[in-house]
Amino acid sequence: MMKTTEESDRYKKILELMRSSRPDLARPEEIVNEVIKRIQHGNRPTDRISDFIGSLFGWIYIGWVRNSLVAAAAVMVSLFIYQQALILKQVNNISRQQVMTGIEPIPGSMTGFDNKLTIYKFSNKLSPSGDIKISEKQLEMILESYDNLRSKYKNLIRIIEEDPELKRYIEGKLDANKKYKPDI
Amino acid sequence: MEHRKTKLIISVILIMTASCNEPETVVTNIVHADGSVTRRIEMRSTENKFDISSLQVPLDSTWIIKDSLEINASDDTVWVKRAEKMFAGVGEINMAYRSDSGANKDISRHAEFRKKFKWFNNEYTFSEIIDKKMKYGYPVREYLNAEELKWFYSPSNVNEEKKNGPDSLEFRSFSDTVEKKLEKWYIKNIVSEWIGEFASLTGEKVNNEMTQKSLKLRENEFVNIVEKNLEHFDTLWQNGTLLREFIGEANAVKYKNEADSAANMATDRFWVSFKPYTVRAIMPGKLTGTNGLIDSAGLLLWPVNSDFFLTEQYKMQAESKIPNIWAWIVSGLFLVFVSTGILKKMRPSQK
Repeated sequence: MMKTTEESDRYKKILELMRSSRPDLARPEEIVNEVIKRIQHGNRPTDRISDFIGSLFGWIYIGWVRNSLVAAAAVMVSLFIYQQALILKQVNNISRQQVMTGIEPIPGSMTGFDNKLTIYKFSNKLSPSGDIKISEKQLEMILESYDNLRSKYKNLIRIIEEDPELKRYIEGKLDANKKYKPDI
Repeated sequence: MEHRKTKLIISVILIMTASCNEPETVVTNIVHADGSVTRRIEMRSTENKFDISSLQVPLDSTWIIKDSLEINASDDTVWVKRAEKMFAGVGEINMAYRSDSGANKDISRHAEFRKKFKWFNNEYTFSEIIDKKMKYGYPVREYLNAEELKWFYSPSNVNEEKKNGPDSLEFRSFSDTVEKKLEKWYIKNIVSEWIGEFASLTGEKVNNEMTQKSLKLRENEFVNIVEKNLEHFDTLWQNGTLLREFIGEANAVKYKNEADSAANMATDRFWVSFKPYTVRAIMPGKLTGTNGLIDSAGLLLWPVNSDFFLTEQYKMQAESKIPNIWAWIVSGLFLVFVSTGILKKMRPSQK
């Protein structure tokens, strides 16, 4: 505070000294013009931009602000890398997933049919909603013929598997059957 | 010849079970970023009969409906009903499920939608959920390994195609293994359900041997008895032979009514009144996760069968992401700003 007052006093003294000892100017108008020109020059946009940039980046001289902004930027970069890597991994997993081609899926579980039919023996009901009703005798016939069919089918598979020549022959026939589509 | 005959008979049996006059139904959920869902239903039937009571999913007069007659791949005439409706959110879909009077009205179904803001991306999750039917059942994953589970959850005709294609013998033997395991699973579930219901019906009036805990300890024993007598189960249950073997002579007489009621409850839950259908989903943005199948058109697909929600909730879920472009720009500008500042700070010190 004291220092500021001293400086101010000194400045006033210098100013008075300069005023009292005015130089003898030949063309004072030129000096006036030059001063005006310099003042105008000082207000040019480039200087304003550099002032703006100077104030915008004022934080670089404040340690804690600088560190915080650097930390925030690092977190942002890490988050970006993590998220994109995760997405890439997930997308790769999806693309590895089996794609069903050429088959239009038909709803309905048929693979568990024989299991359910066996389990059906637990109950008198074929359908709890009562849509379908068959007699016990009819059901027994279905089950019997189904069991028959299943055992014959298993026997057939066993015979085929035990005989490599027959297996080759059957597979060849099945392939040929697949290629040939009759016009029915 | 024998083989062809076998195939034919099996096909007839399968067709008999599959076609109960219900239309083949595919429900497509087109999920939008704002949570609204355009729902499309396509029903195909050999008859022009689309009674509300026979439809698998809720449908009413508020939908835009188009009927057409088409020729399918086998040159058969098929009636096609296409319906579309825009739902403002999953809440409206759930309301429709609650008021459903169709073929699957007894099944508890609902949809969920979640949107998560994750700065660089928005994450979307859509699920269709069917609640489980059996209270005391075992999850199917305890019985099948990963490969077998894949088979179990695949559409039946996809599996049939494999069984009739190359490596057919291998696939058939695999299918037999899965079916055997499933048979065990079915029996175990019914027995477990019966024990659970029987214990809850008899309550605290039973002796120590009849508590749920002690019956549960003998569960495998019951399962073996059932498996051993599967051929004549009905008769043996009716005349009380099986119950006597389970809980002893005196208890079998005393708790006959409770045992019958529990058996009815267990079989009712096992024989779910349900007509299968297929669910598809189209998610907003890039698909990042799903537990469904992907078809050749890149669409997600889930077959819906009663076995899938017998003992566990069946959740058909899809996840996707949409990048937040504005967040990318803001983050980029921020990074440029900070790095410029740091360079600016470094420059004078270098001088």
